[in-house]
Amino acid sequence: MAKRTLPRLLQAPAVLLLLLWMLIPLSMTLYFSFIRYVLNSLRKPEWTTPSLSNWRGLGNYEYVLFNAKDFWFAVQNSVFIVTSILLLTVALGLAIALLVNRSFPGRGIVRVLIISPFFVMPAVNAVLWINMILDPVLGLNGLAVEGLNGLVAGLREFPLLGGFFSLWPEIEPISFRATQTSAYAVIMMVTWQWTPFAVLIFMTSLQSEDQQQKEAAILDGANAWSQFRNLTLPHLARPIAIVLMIQAIFHLSLYAEIEIVSRGNGNKNLPYLIGDFATNNIGAASATGIFAVILANIVAIFLIRMVGKSLMD
Amino acid sequence: MAGLTIRDARKAYGETQVIHGIDLDIADGDFVVFVGPSGCGKSTLLRMIAGLEEVTSGDISIGDRVVNDVAPADRGVAMVFQTYALYPHMTVYKNMAFGLIQAKTPKDEIDRRVREAAKILDIENYLERTPRALSGGQRQRVAIGRAIVREPDVFLFDEPLSNLDAALRGQTRLEIARLHQRLKTTIVYVTHDQVEAMTLADKIVVLRDGLIEQYGAPMELYENPANKFVAEFIGSPSMNFFEASQEKGGFSIGGKKVSVKLSQEVNAIDIGIRPEHLKQTTKQKAVLSGTLDVVEQLGDHVLAHLVTGQGNEFIAKFETLGDIKLGDTLHFDATKENIHFFDKTSGARLV
Ligand SMILES: Nc1ncnc2c1ncn2[C@@H]1O[C@H](COP(=O)(O)OP(=O)(O)OP(=O)(O)O)[C@@H](O)[C@H]1O
Ligand SMILES: [Mg+2]
Repeated sequence: MAKRTLPRLLQAPAVLLLLLWMLIPLSMTLYFSFIRYVLNSLRKPEWTTPSLSNWRGLGNYEYVLFNAKDFWFAVQNSVFIVTSILLLTVALGLAIALLVNRSFPGRGIVRVLIISPFFVMPAVNAVLWINMILDPVLGLNGLAVEGLNGLVAGLREFPLLGGFFSLWPEIEPISFRATQTSAYAVIMMVTWQWTPFAVLIFMTSLQSEDQQQKEAAILDGANAWSQFRNLTLPHLARPIAIVLMIQAIFHLSLYAEIEIVSRGNGNKNLPYLIGDFATNNIGAASATGIFAVILANIVAIFLIRMVGKSLMD
Repeated sequence: MAGLTIRDARKAYGETQVIHGIDLDIADGDFVVFVGPSGCGKSTLLRMIAGLEEVTSGDISIGDRVVNDVAPADRGVAMVFQTYALYPHMTVYKNMAFGLIQAKTPKDEIDRRVREAAKILDIENYLERTPRALSGGQRQRVAIGRAIVREPDVFLFDEPLSNLDAALRGQTRLEIARLHQRLKTTIVYVTHDQVEAMTLADKIVVLRDGLIEQYGAPMELYENPANKFVAEFIGSPSMNFFEASQEKGGFSIGGKKVSVKLSQEVNAIDIGIRPEHLKQTTKQKAVLSGTLDVVEQLGDHVLAHLVTGQGNEFIAKFETLGDIKLGDTLHFDATKENIHFFDKTSGARLV
């Protein structure tokens, strides 16, 4: 027992600091979520300072759940954006890692280039994508659609064939700032930025794959797909779990991209909704924050189970 | 079941030539062992037979089919790797069944073959474990089992015992010998260990720098080595070599003249005598004398390291040392058929 006392004492300050670091914001959020607290109120000036006399009970939660119009939409959107990004980055990351794992001339440069999106700041990434690529007029999106329309228009001039092409409609470029599509824009840009992370992790893991197992499988008559399915994929289970977990934690709190693409029009997630409320209604923002914590915990439990399982075998 | 024929096989990695033209005929059912120093191309040759390395030129045939362009899985070979190369995420059962599943073998046939192999190798109790939960020896047996269930024409082993400790190595060696007696399948086996080579092989291939130095039965290589390299490589401890000076009608290595009539005229020769063939004798009869330098007690026998008057070190093998002390001068003789002569420049054996 005595042996453990000294290390524990030495650890104590750090542990205490971390605890306070977590507990103070959490308990303040909890406290604010149970009282009426707004930043500006001409009608009820007493609500502008936090105090127990403004107790509202579960009122803020009730308001967020049933009266605030964007809450369920934000939850759904949070989950949709995060799962889409996870699926895309893992699939693309696997494909690219497998491709660049072979040897070919210029492999070093290609690898550096593949990693580079990860070093772009999220806000810069979002600005570049929404203006240079996805913009329906000036971006690559607009230019490509314009070019395609021009091509079809040119083909209409031809005799015979022209009749067929005149049946084709004029294509409209998609606007990624619109209500239905802004979430797709966010998914695309974040996927572009985070796929390198997945590639990096998968690549290091692929390097440690046992080549003799592959050769044994070749002798056993396994084709490329069967080798991938039975050897490579199980070998990558752990790195995949890690990529999923780290990304889930990061992407539940996406904010900059959403702000830049559409200022939250048609595309809010929980952090963005909290930001919306926090411009005035701190009570509702805090209640939403508590819901966000619950959602993050559900995801975390789910993921930790999965990672734990992949670490077990 | 089938034999194996290799015709002028060569292998180069870019500019570096590794296998320089190998011709080899392996009879159906033979146990053939490749030995040679590290880097001589044993594994490369084995992998060429397996199809894991392309043949740069030449032909490899299994049975009477040239397999140069046949996929590894369709050659009728099964390989046991030095690192076992078991599939870590599958059970022992699945590891052994994997090749058969790929070949779309019926389920009950797979089950029959796996259980039979498991019975032969005494791993029936581990079928549901993963390789991680097995000891080195058990993993080795699973790797052998994986080869057996495919019922190949030729088994290929690449140093299968080198990751095992000495006791287990001896035991597994015996099991492999038994397995061969039972299955009577052609086996090609690569090893560093010349005890393995001598005990297991029907025939030994001694390789050096991508070329065959000699191919023959173990005792043939031991008694009639084709050259100095083979003589030195086969036998433990190695053969002793002495620089010999030419005399009228024979040669001398510092003691009595050895009268011999060689078929060829040569200028300089080396004389080789194995440690176990040196017999102690009197000074008058001695071919060779040396001062005792170091003694190695090995229980059932003693290795005496000696130095001749000319400074040539050599080893003699005794049952017991008796009352001989360090620094004593000992005299040795050997029967004629146990004295080997080698051309000093080419290394070829002279008779
Ligand atoms: N991929 C490769 N590229 C170039 N050279 C190679 C390659 N693989 C093997 N070699 C060379 O071929 C030679 C033979 O190698 P090999 O592995 O067959 O030796 P070995 O006899 O099995 O040796 P060991 O007993 O140490 O296993 C070595 O000199 C090695 O450097
Ligand atoms: Mg080798």
